[in-house]
Amino acid sequence: MQLNLQKNVGLAQKQATAPSPAFNVRGNAMRSKLPVQVASKAASAKKAPIARAVAEAEDKASKQFGVFRLSYDVNNEDKEMMKNWKKTINVAVTGASGTIANHLLFMLASGEVYGKDQPIALQLLGSERSYEALEGVAMELEDSLYPLLREVSIGIDPYEIFAGADWALMVGAQPRGPGMERSDLIQKNGQIFQVQGRALNEVADRNCKVIVVGNPCCTNALIAMENAPNLPRKNFHALTRLDENRAKSQLALKAGKFYTSVSRVAVWGNHSTTQVPDFLNAKIGGLPAMNVIRDNQWFKEHFTPKVAMRGGALIKKWGRSSAASTAVSVADSIRSLITPTPPGDCFSSGVISDGNLYGIQEGLNFSFPCRSKGDGDYEICNDFIIDDWLRMKIKAAEDELIQERDCVSHLIGREGGACAIGPNTPDTSVPGEN
Amino acid sequence: MQLNLQKNVGLAQKQATAPSPAFSVRGNAVRSKLSAQLGSKAGFTRRAPVARAVAEAEDKASKQFGVFRLSYDVSNEDKEVMKNWKKTINVAVTGASGTIANHLLFMLASGEVYGKDQPISLHLLGSERSYEALEGVAMELEDSLYPLLREVSIGIDPYEIFAGADWALMVGAQPRGPGMERSDLIQKNGQIFQVQGRALNEVADRNCKVIVVGNPCCTNALIAMENAPNLPRKNFHALTRLDENRAKSQLALKAGKFYTSVSRVAIWGNHSTTQVPDFLNAKIGNLPAMNVIRDNQWFKEHFTPKVAMRGGALIKKWGRSSAASTAVSVADSIRSLITPTPPGDCFSSGVISDGNLYGIQEGLNFSFPCRSKGDGDYEICNDFIIDDWLRMKIKAAEDELIQERDCVSHLIGREGGACAIGPNTPDTSVPGEK
Repeated sequence: MQLNLQKNVGLAQKQATAPSPAFNVRGNAMRSKLPVQVASKAASAKKAPIARAVAEAEDKASKQFGVFRLSYDVNNEDKEMMKNWKKTINVAVTGASGTIANHLLFMLASGEVYGKDQPIALQLLGSERSYEALEGVAMELEDSLYPLLREVSIGIDPYEIFAGADWALMVGAQPRGPGMERSDLIQKNGQIFQVQGRALNEVADRNCKVIVVGNPCCTNALIAMENAPNLPRKNFHALTRLDENRAKSQLALKAGKFYTSVSRVAVWGNHSTTQVPDFLNAKIGGLPAMNVIRDNQWFKEHFTPKVAMRGGALIKKWGRSSAASTAVSVADSIRSLITPTPPGDCFSSGVISDGNLYGIQEGLNFSFPCRSKGDGDYEICNDFIIDDWLRMKIKAAEDELIQERDCVSHLIGREGGACAIGPNTPDTSVPGEN
Repeated sequence: MQLNLQKNVGLAQKQATAPSPAFSVRGNAVRSKLSAQLGSKAGFTRRAPVARAVAEAEDKASKQFGVFRLSYDVSNEDKEVMKNWKKTINVAVTGASGTIANHLLFMLASGEVYGKDQPISLHLLGSERSYEALEGVAMELEDSLYPLLREVSIGIDPYEIFAGADWALMVGAQPRGPGMERSDLIQKNGQIFQVQGRALNEVADRNCKVIVVGNPCCTNALIAMENAPNLPRKNFHALTRLDENRAKSQLALKAGKFYTSVSRVAIWGNHSTTQVPDFLNAKIGNLPAMNVIRDNQWFKEHFTPKVAMRGGALIKKWGRSSAASTAVSVADSIRSLITPTPPGDCFSSGVISDGNLYGIQEGLNFSFPCRSKGDGDYEICNDFIIDDWLRMKIKAAEDELIQERDCVSHLIGREGGACAIGPNTPDTSVPGEK
C-alpha cells in the first residue's frame, strides 16, 4: 500500500512538471506482437509478488489513455458505490473512430448495456489513418466522466488491443470505395478479418464473445472464427439484430400495435437483401402475427423489402447511414446474451450453423433465432416452424452464404472453393450501409 | 373501453388497406397557431367526457410519427412493467436533426436520463430545410424499440412542438456561416430565440424547464426567457456543463486522480473564451484542489485555456465537433435537476442572476454553481469563496455578458442598449463549436 502511494505521488509529480501532452498512447509500441509481451511478463515473474503487481498495474496503466491511467488509484473513489461492482471486463471495439462506434462507446460507458454494477475497460482499435480521430474519441470519453469506465486504451495493433478481451465488437470494416464490386468488398474484408481472427486467437480471453458488425458480417464472422480455432466457435456472432428490430417496427406499424407487443421475430440467413424476416413464427400481443395482420400478400411482397430497404430509405431521408440505430442493435445483442431470454421469445444472431436442426449446411455463419440463460452463452431455438415459403427463402440465403464462403475459402483453410461472385453477380448488400 | 377498442381496430383496418406512408406528420398543420388549438379544444368541451378523452387521444395520436401513433393501445403491453411508471412527460428538442441531438435523443429514449420509470414523449423541432432529416431521425427512433419512448412527433412550428412541453432542450441554433462575425451570430440567433421564447410562453407547460445549448447560449437563454414572461425566470438554463466536465477531466489529469474524485467545480460567467473554471473552490478527493495540485502558475495560465480550447483541440483531432460529449453534458444537466445534489457539491448552469449574492448585475444569464433537491428546481450556491483573481475574471465575464445583452436589447424589450460588438471585436466563441 505504501509502495502504491509513493508510485502515485511520483506520477503526480511527473505530471506537474512535464509540459508535454499528458496522455500516453500505444504509439510507441504500435507494432509489438505477443512475444514481446510474453518476454516482459517473464521478466516480471522474477520480482517479488507485490512489486510485480505494482509493476503490472503500472505497465497496464501506462498503456491507458490520458486520465484513464489514473483509474488505479482508487483511494478517493466512492467506496460505497464500488463495493457492489463486479470485476472489470475488457471490451475491445474495432472501427472505434467511426460513426457507429461514436454512439456505441458512450452507450457502453454509461452502464446501460453491461449493467450499473459492471465496470468496463475499453480497448479501441483504429488504423494509422484514423489514429488522430481515435485520440479525439478517447478525449471525448474523458470529458464524459462515466464512473463505470475504468480504462481506455487506443492503438492500431490488434494483438495489443485484443489482449485479454472478454468481448470484441468488430464494428470496423473496409468501406466500399467507388467502383468497388461486392466481390472486392468480400475479399478485402476477408483479409482484415483473417488478421483480426488470428489476433483474437492469440491474445483474447479464452471465452471472448465476438460480435461482427462490419459487412459482409456473416462471412466476416466466419473468417474470424475459422482463424481463431482456440476460441469456441459458438462465440462468434454476426449482427442481424438491426434487421430484427426493423422487422418488429414494421410489424407493429402494420398491425396497429406499439412495438413493445411484438415478439418472437427471427431473421434467418444472411445480413443482405436475401435476409428472411420471419413472420410465420412472429407474435403480436401474444397472438400469431398472421392472425393479427390478415394479409398474406403484404407479408410476402411488402414486409421483407420494407425491412431490407430500411437502410436505403434512411439514407434518402438524411444522407447518412443509420449509425445510431445500428449501435442500439449492437447494445441489444450484448444484452440478449447477458440477460435471460423471456420464455417463448428469441433474439436473432448470425451464428455457426453446426448442429442446427433446420437442415442448414454446417460450417456457415447463418442467422438463427436464439435464446440465452443470460450467461453469455446461447442455443439455437429448435422449435420454430418452417413452411414451404420460408424453406424456399432460407435455401436462397443458404446458397448465398455458401457462395460467399467459397469466395473466401483461401482465408479459412478450406479447399476447393471456386469463387462464383464476380462483377456481374447481383449486389445483395443491404442498401444504406458503408 | 369498448369505444377505444373500436377506434383502434378501425385504425388497424385503415392501415391494412391503405398503401400510403403510415406515418402522420405535422406537415398538414405546419403553421397552425394556438388560436386553432384553442378553437378545437373549446369544441371538445361540449362532448361527453369519455368521447372527449377518446377524441383527444386520437387527435394527439394522429400527430405522432409512424409507429408512435399506436402507443395509445396499451392492451397488449407488459402491464407489470408499466404499472410502476410515472405519468409521461413531454420533452421538446430543437435542432433535432443535428449531430448533438442524434446522440441526445437516444440517451433520452433509453431511460438513462429521466429514469427507468419515466416514460417520455419526444417532440422534435426542425426546419423546412431539415424536414426529411427529421423524418430519418424519427424512423431510427422507431427502429430502436425503446419501451419508455411513448410518442414521437416532428414538425417545424414551435407553437406545435412546444405545446405542453415539460422540458425544452434547445439544441438548435443558427450555425456560423463563412465570413459571419460574432455580432452577426448574436443577432441571427437572437431572432430565433425570440420566436421560440414567445412560443414557449404561449404553449409550454407553465413549469417548463428550458436548457439552451445553441450558441451564444447564455444570451440566447436570456432572450428566450425575456420573451416568455409567463414562465418562471429561474427555469431558463444555458449549458455550461460541458465546460465543467472538461474542467474536471483536466483537474483529474493534472492531479493524477481518476475523474470520479473531482467535485465542486464551478464554471462562472459565459460559455465563451472568457469562461471561468473555478479551481479555488474545487475539490479533489475532498481536499481543496489547490492543496492537491501545488502549482498556482498552472492554474492561472494553463488550466483555463486547456478547458476553453478543448473543443478546438477535438476539432483538430477528428474534424468534427464534440457532439457526443456535448450530449452527455446535456443529459448530466437534466439529471442534476432531477436528482438531489450530493452535500457540498454543485453543478454549473447559466441561470438568471437575479438575487445572486456575488454582486453580479441582475438580469443576466450567468453561469453559477447551483444545487438542487432533485425536484426540477435549484438555488445558486452562496457559499463559494471569491478571491481577487476570481473576482477579476468574473468581472470580465460579466462585462461581456452585459455587452451581449446590449446588442440584443431590442429583442428583450430593454431600452437604451447600444451594441458595442462589431466586426473588430475579438471573437470569444468557444473554438470547435458552430
